[in-house]
Order: sequence, then C-alpha cells, then structure tokens
Amino acid sequence: MISVEHLSKRFKKTVAVNDLTFDVRPGVVTGFLGPNGSGKSTTMRLLLGLDHPSSGHATVNGQRYRDLAQPLHEVGALLDAKAVHPGRSARQHLRALAASNRISPGRVDEVLDITGITAVADKKVGTFSMGMSQRLGIAAALLGDPGVLLFDEPVNGLDPEGIRWIREFFRSLANEGRTVFVSSHLMSEMALTAEQIIVIGRGRLITQGSVDDLTAGAKGVVYVRARDSDALEAALKSQGATFTAESQGFIVESLDAEAIGELALKAGIALSSLTPQRASLEEVFMDLTAGDVEYSAIKHGANS
Amino acid sequence: MSSRPNLGSVIHSEWIKFRTVRSSITGVVLTLILTIGLGALITSTIRSNWASRPELRRAVFDPVSTSLAGTLFAQFAVGVIGVLFISAEYSTGSIRTSLAAVPKRLRLVAAKSIVLAFVIVIVAEVACFITFSIGQSIYSGVVPTASLSNASVFRSVLFAGLYLTMLSLIGLGLGLILKQSAASISVFTSLLLILPIITLLLPQSWQNNIDRFEPSQLGQAMMSPSPAAFTFGAWTALAILALYSAGIVALGSALLVRRDH
Repeated sequence: MISVEHLSKRFKKTVAVNDLTFDVRPGVVTGFLGPNGSGKSTTMRLLLGLDHPSSGHATVNGQRYRDLAQPLHEVGALLDAKAVHPGRSARQHLRALAASNRISPGRVDEVLDITGITAVADKKVGTFSMGMSQRLGIAAALLGDPGVLLFDEPVNGLDPEGIRWIREFFRSLANEGRTVFVSSHLMSEMALTAEQIIVIGRGRLITQGSVDDLTAGAKGVVYVRARDSDALEAALKSQGATFTAESQGFIVESLDAEAIGELALKAGIALSSLTPQRASLEEVFMDLTAGDVEYSAIKHGANS
Repeated sequence: MSSRPNLGSVIHSEWIKFRTVRSSITGVVLTLILTIGLGALITSTIRSNWASRPELRRAVFDPVSTSLAGTLFAQFAVGVIGVLFISAEYSTGSIRTSLAAVPKRLRLVAAKSIVLAFVIVIVAEVACFITFSIGQSIYSGVVPTASLSNASVFRSVLFAGLYLTMLSLIGLGLGLILKQSAASISVFTSLLLILPIITLLLPQSWQNNIDRFEPSQLGQAMMSPSPAAFTFGAWTALAILALYSAGIVALGSALLVRRDH
C-alpha cells in the first residue's frame, strides 16, 4: 500500500510535483502515467526518501520510507537500470545490496534465477545489454521479497520478448497480493499491463481509476457508411452533427449509433456500416494531457 | 526472514562493494608499491651518495623519515581510493540504490568510513613497517640507522600509516562534498601540493605560522622522531589531522543528509 498525500516538490524554478494525492492498492498493477517531465520520477524518488518533499508526505505501509527498519523487505524499487557500477558482476552487486539488509546470499541466487540472468551472473554489469540490466534491476527489487514494488519506466530498452515477460511478471506479482506501481509515458503499454491508472501532467493529478472506467468515460465516436454517401452527409448536416469524412464513410462525434440509425431510417438511407468505436486508452491519455505536455510540438510551429 | 539490519550489515555491504571494484584493488596495490618501492629506491640513492654528502647534512640526517619517503607518493593513491569509494556511486548513479537500501544516510557514511579506514590502516601500516625495515637494512653499514625499539622511532613509523589513513578519509569526505571524481581528486592534490606553494608567497613570519597547519607538514611532523623547527609535535599533528578529516567527512555527511538524490 502506497499513500501520497498533498505531496509537493519544488526545485529552484520549477514545481515538479504539485499537491499530489493518491493511493496505490495491493493486488493489482497500477500504472503511473504522464508525459516526459510530468513528475513521475520525482514522485518515485520522493516515495523512496531520496528527495525531500517541499510539503505533504508519501508513505509506504503507513510509514515514511526512511523510517522503515528493513526497507528492502518492504519496498523493492527499480529507478534506473543502468545505475550500477559497471565493474562489478551482477552477483557481486546483488550480494552487496543483500548484505546491507541482512538478506542471505542464497536469496541472491534465487532472484538471479527468477529473472533469468543466472547464466550471466558473474559477468561485469558494464557488458550488459539494456534488457539484461533491466532484469538485474528487477532482481535487485525482488531481493527482500517486498510487498510493494516500484518500477520507473521498466519497459524502456526491452525487446518484444522481454516486454511480454515483464507484463506477465508484473501481473503475477500483483496476483500474489503485492502492490505493483509502474510508471510509463506510453499509454498503450500501460493499457496492456495495468488495471488501475494514475495520470499526472505537470506534477498534478489529472485522473485516476481503472482502465475500463477511463475508456468508458471518454466519449466514443461512431463510424458510419452508406452507399449513397452524399445523402448520408446531407442527413448528418441536417441534424447539425459534427463529423469528419474517413475511408468512404464518416466518423461522427456528436451522435451515438442509435440516433444515427434512426436518422438514416427517416431519410431512407441504407447503411452499409454502423460501428461504435470506443476511444482507445491512448486517445484518452492524449486528450487528458494535451494541455499538460511540457514541450509540445505545436508551440514550435511559429518559429520553424 | 532475518533480523534487523544494523551498522554491521551496512559495513558488510560496503566491504563487498570495496573489494569488488578494480579501482580499490589497484589503489591498494599502488599504495604498497609506492611506499615500499620508492622507499627502497630513495634509501638506496641516499646510501650510494652518502660519502659525498656534506658533513652538516650528515649531522641532521634522519634515517626514519627518509625511509618513509615513499608515503609522499602513496598519499595520492590512498586519497584517490577514498574519493572513488563514494564518487563512483555518484557517477554511476548507484548512490540511489545504496540510499534506498540504507535510508539512514549517516549510517551509510559511517559504514563507508569504517571500511575505508580499516582497510587503509592495515595496508598502510604493513607498507610503512616494511619500507622502514628495508630502508634500515639498505642503510646498514654505511648510513646511520634507527631501531623500532626506540619509542619515538616506532611512533614515527606507526604515525606514517595513520597519516595515510587520515588522508584517505579526507579523500572520502571530499568525494561526499563534491560528488565528482575529477573535482575531488583535484582538490585533494591541491591541498597537498598547491597549498604549500601558495604559502611561499606569504611573508616569512606568516609562513612559519601557517605552514605547519598544512596536511603535508603535519605528515612530516608525524613521521619524524624529533620535531623540526616551526612544526607541531607528532601527537599534536595527529590530532590536528584527525580534526581535518573528521571535519571534512562531517561536512560531506551533512550535505548527504540534506541533498536530494
């Protein structure tokens, strides 16, 4: 269980995290989404006690991170997979980490096995590919068999096989009753991995809820097509509907499928297609964060 | 699953970290080679030139500190060991992993300081007693020699090892403060080499008062059986140097605790 309450972090000129409040429940994978620079990593660092909050607080299992007596047994975190001394072997890195929290060397072998890097355990970390480094980072997070796991952009640099592995792995961790909190700037990835989503932009909470709720709440569109395209267009116009032409038909935004069907019946138009289209999570995300993207391409349009 | 982690577990962790990077091992080997090898070279040169040495310089000759002269080079090796022990954590970013595993930051510094001091004091004392013995056997028969059975001689050799240990802690402290390897090593080197040059620009009477506070002068006072003019006694010098290293590590610790990582 992670609790963030009115958490704010101001750096000299910028507000990285702005009055953020949310809870992350155990038993499900929770996605932490936001564009790059939206404050996800800062929030993660605040949770781990690496940064000092300007106000508010973040707790894990009801305690501030720095007050945890056995931090690795309660929280496992992967912030930056490449943040390991390149001259050490994977096993040595994990052994040192394990020793600090009195975790046995036997557990080191176990997590090497779980993450599938036993074969390269005695190679220097500097020779690791990004995918292997990510696995090492996950192995480190699992060392203390913690109930809470934090992963900052864990999918970066993974090959498709690794991505599939990590998705299933996160779900199995959640199914064991753990709290799994995964940040990403890719909505499409989170749609496949997470059940719960927390969306932030410019350090502020934009929305939170289940993936299903978020997509259901967004207004869908309807794709409609008729052989007599002109008549259909005229009928839609007569209703004052907003729509755009697409692949021989129209994408209608302001009417639902039922209303369009009745409209076509009255006008005597035979429809060849009438398909409601649910907004993808990706579209919901783009809509939600459109105003909160720190560096938008549109802003540069005037100068180029 | 296991008992609560304490300072001992963090010391164990830091010891694994220390011995599993090449820079520490290279640094330790270099400390031994520089202290013993250059000690042998310097004492051999003194022996072969002894006949041509002026009478006056023979009279004030100190067989102890000259046999320990290799420490003047080894001091940079131990400083770099100390700097890299912490600065490598910043340059690789692994400081975050370390602090997440050990959120009590002072405990992390304490463990690092203890591991570093323990390793260096053993390596440096071994190096100093060996180079002293080799030096005396090279001098033997031609140049006056000293014996460890003389208390002030024994103290000089012992303190030479402590001098190197303190300097490695100053390196660690600078690494904590500056976070960058290159910057920390530069400052460390400047303290030992540039500071004496700067004081040369001061009036003579000021020099006499200020020089003796420089780390390198404190070292000379610590490893000479009898103090030279305008220097502190060996024990006072040890205390001042200990104060320096404690102060620098304390400042670094305070910054570590306050900083965001």
